[in-house]
Amino acid sequence: MSVTLARVEPSIAGVGDYIALMKPRVMSLVVFTAVAGLMVAPGHIHPVIAFVALLCITVGAGAAGALNMWYDADIDARMARTAARPIPRGRVTPGEAAGFGFTLAAFSVAALGLLVNLAAAALLAFTIFFYVVIYTIWLKRSTPQNIVIGGAAGALPPMIGWAAATGGLAIEPLLLFLIIFFWTPPHFWALSLYRAQDYARAGVPMLPVVAGARETRRQILLYTLILAPLGASLWPLGYAGPIYGCTALVAGAGMIALALRVHAERDGHAASKQMFGFSILYLFLLFAMLMVDRISGGLFGHIAV
Amino acid sequence: MTIIDSAMNDVNGQRPQTGIRLTEQQLRARRARSLAIALALGAFVVVIFLVTIVRLGSNVLTGPM
Repeated sequence: MSVTLARVEPSIAGVGDYIALMKPRVMSLVVFTAVAGLMVAPGHIHPVIAFVALLCITVGAGAAGALNMWYDADIDARMARTAARPIPRGRVTPGEAAGFGFTLAAFSVAALGLLVNLAAAALLAFTIFFYVVIYTIWLKRSTPQNIVIGGAAGALPPMIGWAAATGGLAIEPLLLFLIIFFWTPPHFWALSLYRAQDYARAGVPMLPVVAGARETRRQILLYTLILAPLGASLWPLGYAGPIYGCTALVAGAGMIALALRVHAERDGHAASKQMFGFSILYLFLLFAMLMVDRISGGLFGHIAV
Repeated sequence: MTIIDSAMNDVNGQRPQTGIRLTEQQLRARRARSLAIALALGAFVVVIFLVTIVRLGSNVLTGPM
């Protein structure tokens, strides 16, 4: 009896390829929003425990990214934006990416649970599950609402940060969740407007592919009209001060102005490209100012005492 | 050649010619990956150590001897 073995070339994947599997840019936004969740939470958390919590959240986000690239390798190979990722380029095999992702996911959740607390670990596990199974495996290929529902995964990190600091949840982290949740559709649909052909070729039912550019522009405006007041609402609700409030109002007005331009645009994609870029700045500003607000509030509080 | 001779050859680095021979690039990549795994494991050990110290804190002094 002869046994035929598939010839497997020894790997040439470098460390950089594995870092690329973790989607460093997505990871940086996850860390940033998780830091905000940690910082605005009441009470005291030891700096070492806070650092470990952030490390676990970062690695967990990287694991989700690797598992996404493992499952989506076929789609990534057909899209210009993602064709250079490690699996389509042949640097890493899908099996290696899956092993890498599952290992990191298990380690990050277990470490967060054992070293910080179970509530944060449960939320991190749920986030990875939601991103990989609900978004990547199920929704992405089946509905134009993929990034709306799937956006919940990207919106959870501030809640994980809050849970790491307090061991529970409250209304404030839920508001931070909602801000990212309503930010995600305008952000990704602005991108998909000028990448529609890419998505169509890959067979991904993004809104511009399924419902057309006009409907997408309308939906971007609708979501932005919810997002801008929601972003500013932390001020009147008493969760943030005027530094945050004024920034959220001005940046929110900018988002609405851009959404109106996207809505009015018929030819070309200048406005949608601007909207995509500005939306990143918008989210960054909101969370940065929330932290500045909290730090300065704390300082003033100490001075007052 | 006995099994022991064969094992000794392996130990001395005289592997049989039929095995997979890694190219320079593959060797370099493997070395870099091994180093990264070692650093990650080292960092993990340090993290566990630091958290243990933080969690123990002053309880070490107040606990039953």
